[in-house]
Amino acid sequence: MFVDLIQNTLDGLTSGAAYALLAVGFTLIFGVLRRVNLSYGPAIMFGCYAATWFHVHFQGGLLLLAVITIAGTVLAGAYVERLCFAPHRDGSAIAAMVASFALWMQLEELAILAMPKHLYAFPALYEGRPLALGPFSLRVEALLMLLVTVATCVALHRLLYRSRFGLAVRAVIEQPVAAQLAGIDLPGIFVRIFAVASLVGAIAGYLIVSSSEQVTPMLGMWSTLKGMLAMMLGGLGSLPGAVLGGLALGLIEAHSQWFFGPQVRDLTAYLLLFILLALRPSGLWTTTRSAS
Amino acid sequence: MAKSALFLILALASLPAAAQRAQAELECRFTGTDFVYDCLIRLKRAGEPLPGASITVGADMPSMPMAHNIRPVKAKPGKNPGEYLARLDLEMRGEWAVKLRLAGPVKDQLILHYDFDEKGARPVIRSGRLPRK
Amino acid sequence: MDDYTIGVLTNIGLFSFLALSAYLLLITGEMSFGQQAFFGIGAYCAGILTAMYGVSLPLAAIAAMALGALAALLVGLPTLRLKGLYFAMATLAAAEMIRILFELLHFQRTVEGELLGPDGTQGFRGIRWVFESGVEPLHYLALIYVVLAVVLGLFAWIERSRLGATLRSLGQDPELAASLGVDVNRLKLGVAAAAGALAALGGVLYAHHNTYIEPRNFDIMLGIHSLAYALIGGLGTTFGPLLGVVVDIGLVEGSRVFEGYRMIVFGGLVAVLLVFRPRGLLDERVVHWLRARFS
Repeated sequence: MFVDLIQNTLDGLTSGAAYALLAVGFTLIFGVLRRVNLSYGPAIMFGCYAATWFHVHFQGGLLLLAVITIAGTVLAGAYVERLCFAPHRDGSAIAAMVASFALWMQLEELAILAMPKHLYAFPALYEGRPLALGPFSLRVEALLMLLVTVATCVALHRLLYRSRFGLAVRAVIEQPVAAQLAGIDLPGIFVRIFAVASLVGAIAGYLIVSSSEQVTPMLGMWSTLKGMLAMMLGGLGSLPGAVLGGLALGLIEAHSQWFFGPQVRDLTAYLLLFILLALRPSGLWTTTRSAS
Repeated sequence: MAKSALFLILALASLPAAAQRAQAELECRFTGTDFVYDCLIRLKRAGEPLPGASITVGADMPSMPMAHNIRPVKAKPGKNPGEYLARLDLEMRGEWAVKLRLAGPVKDQLILHYDFDEKGARPVIRSGRLPRK
Repeated sequence: MDDYTIGVLTNIGLFSFLALSAYLLLITGEMSFGQQAFFGIGAYCAGILTAMYGVSLPLAAIAAMALGALAALLVGLPTLRLKGLYFAMATLAAAEMIRILFELLHFQRTVEGELLGPDGTQGFRGIRWVFESGVEPLHYLALIYVVLAVVLGLFAWIERSRLGATLRSLGQDPELAASLGVDVNRLKLGVAAAAGALAALGGVLYAHHNTYIEPRNFDIMLGIHSLAYALIGGLGTTFGPLLGVVVDIGLVEGSRVFEGYRMIVFGGLVAVLLVFRPRGLLDERVVHWLRARFS
C-alpha cells in the first residue's frame, strides 16, 4: 500500500513534469498576450507530426527528431501568431481565440492529410528496462523527462530574470500600458514570447511522444487541455503556479487512477478545478492576482 | 421447479420480440482511393440471413457527430441472400459509426462501430469496464 | 429531396440548437465551453423515457428540458462570480464531468425481451421512437425546423422587448445594468437555465434522429464548435449563430470541391474573416444597418 503510494507519486511527478511544461508554455502566451491560444497543443502536434513524417521517410536520431519537433512547433506557432494574435492585438480577445480555434482545425486536418493513419509509432526516448530502486521502479524516460523539465525551467527563469528581454516581458506582464509608454516594443515582445512558448511546448510534446512511443492527432486538443487545466490549478498567469499546477495535476491523476480507474481520474481533476474556480478563482498558488 | 418452468415460459414468450431485431456485420475493403471502401453487409434476423431489405448506408464519427456529412448510399443486393453491397466514401480513417437504415421487412436503424484503416475495416470491440492499472 | 440533403439540413437544424444556446450566454457576456453537456443530458433523458418507459416524445422533451435547465443552474450557481476565461474553464470542467458521468452510467431494462438503456462507453442503442411512430426522415426534418422556428420566434420577440435590451446590457456593461436596478444574478441564472433547456431540446431531437447516442458524442469538440459558430455568424441577431452553422456544415461541407480539405478551407476563411469582422458576420453594426435600410 505504501509502496503503491510512493510509486504513484513518482509516476505522477513524471507526467506532472510534462504537464508543467505544457502549462508554462500556455501561461507565457496567456500571461503576456492576455489571450487564450487554442492552437497551442495543435502547433505542438504539428511539430511532432513533422518529426514523425521525417522519421517515417528518412529515419532520424533522437536529437534530430527533437530539433525537427521544435522547428515545426515554432513554425506553426508563428503562423498562428501572425494570423490569430497579431491582427487582434488591440482588439477582441474572443476573436483571437476563435481564430486560434479555426487554425487548430486547420493544423489537425493538415496532419491527418499528411499522415492518415490514426496512430503512428514514435522512436522511444530510451530503450531499456526501468531502473529498480528497491521496491520502486523508475523508468529512465521518466528520469529524463524530469531532468529536461527542470533544465527548461531553470533556463526560462534565467531568461526572464537575467536578460533584458526577460525584464521587458515581466514589465509587460505586470503593467502592459506603462511598459508600452516606457518604449518597450510590445509587438516584438509578443512575437518572441510566442516563439519561447512554442519552444517549451515542443519540448513537452517531444518528451511525451517519445516516452509513450506513439503520436496521434488527438495530441493537439489533449495538450491544450492539460496545459489549460494545469495553468488554472496553479494560478492564472503565474509561471511558478503553472509548474506547481502541472505537478499537482500529475499527482492527482496518478493517485485517483490507481484507486478508481481512468474515468474517475479525469473526473477528479475536473471536479477539483471546478471547486477551485468556484471558491478561489485565482488558483492554488497565487495570492492576489486578479482575472482579466 | 415451478419457478424455473415459469421462467422458461416467460423467456420463450419474450424471445420472439428480441429475435425480431435485425443484426448486421460489415466486411470492408479499401479500394485504393482515399477514403473509399467497398463494403459487404451481412444482415441477419434470429440467426437467419435477411434478404429483401432496403438498406441506406450512412456514417458519422462518434466525436463531432453532426459535422461530417457522408453521402448516404443505397446498398445493392449481393450474391447470397442476406448479403448487400455498398461503396462508402468516408472523409478520413479512424473509427466511424456506420448507420444502416433498414426499410422493407424490418424497419430499424443499426449502428455499427468500425475502425477504417488502409486495408479495410475492423469492428471496434470496446470493453465494458476499463481495467485497473 | 434526396437523403443527403435531408441529412445535411437535419444536421444544420440540430446544431443550431447548440449554437443558439451558446449565443444566449454570449450576448450576456459569458463564454461557455460546456453547452454540449446539456445537449447530452437532453439526449439521455429523453432517450431513456421514450425507449425504456414508452413515454411520448413531447412529454419526454419537456422532462429533458427541465433536467437541462436544472443542470445548467447547478453549474451556473457556483460560477456566478466568474468571468472570462475562469467562467469558460469552469463550464468546460463541468461539461467534462457530466460526460464522464455518462461513461459511468449503466442503467438498462428489459423491454419486450430486449435489453435497452445506457451502457456506459458502449452507448445507448435502440432509441426507436421514429420507427415506432412511423416518422420518415423528411417528416422528422420538418419537426426539427418547426421547433426551431418556434424557438427563433421566441428569441426574436425577446430581442425586441425590454428583456432583450436588458440582456444585452449585461454583456456590455454589467455594472451599469446593476446600478439601474437590474438583478444581475437572477437574470444570469435565468439565462443559464434557458440556455440549458434549449441545448437539452436539441439533444432530444438529436437522440431520436440518430437512434443511438454515446458519451463521446458530447465532448469538447461539439462545445467549442457551437461557440465558434455563434461567434462567427455574429452576435447581432438570432440568425447569426444559424449563419455560422450554415457556413460550416452547409456551404463548405456541401460542396464536394473541398473534400478532404474542408477544415483547412473553413479554418482559413474564419481566421481571415475575423481579422476584418471580429464580432462575426452579422455583428451589431451590420444588423443595425440592415434594420435601418429595411424598415
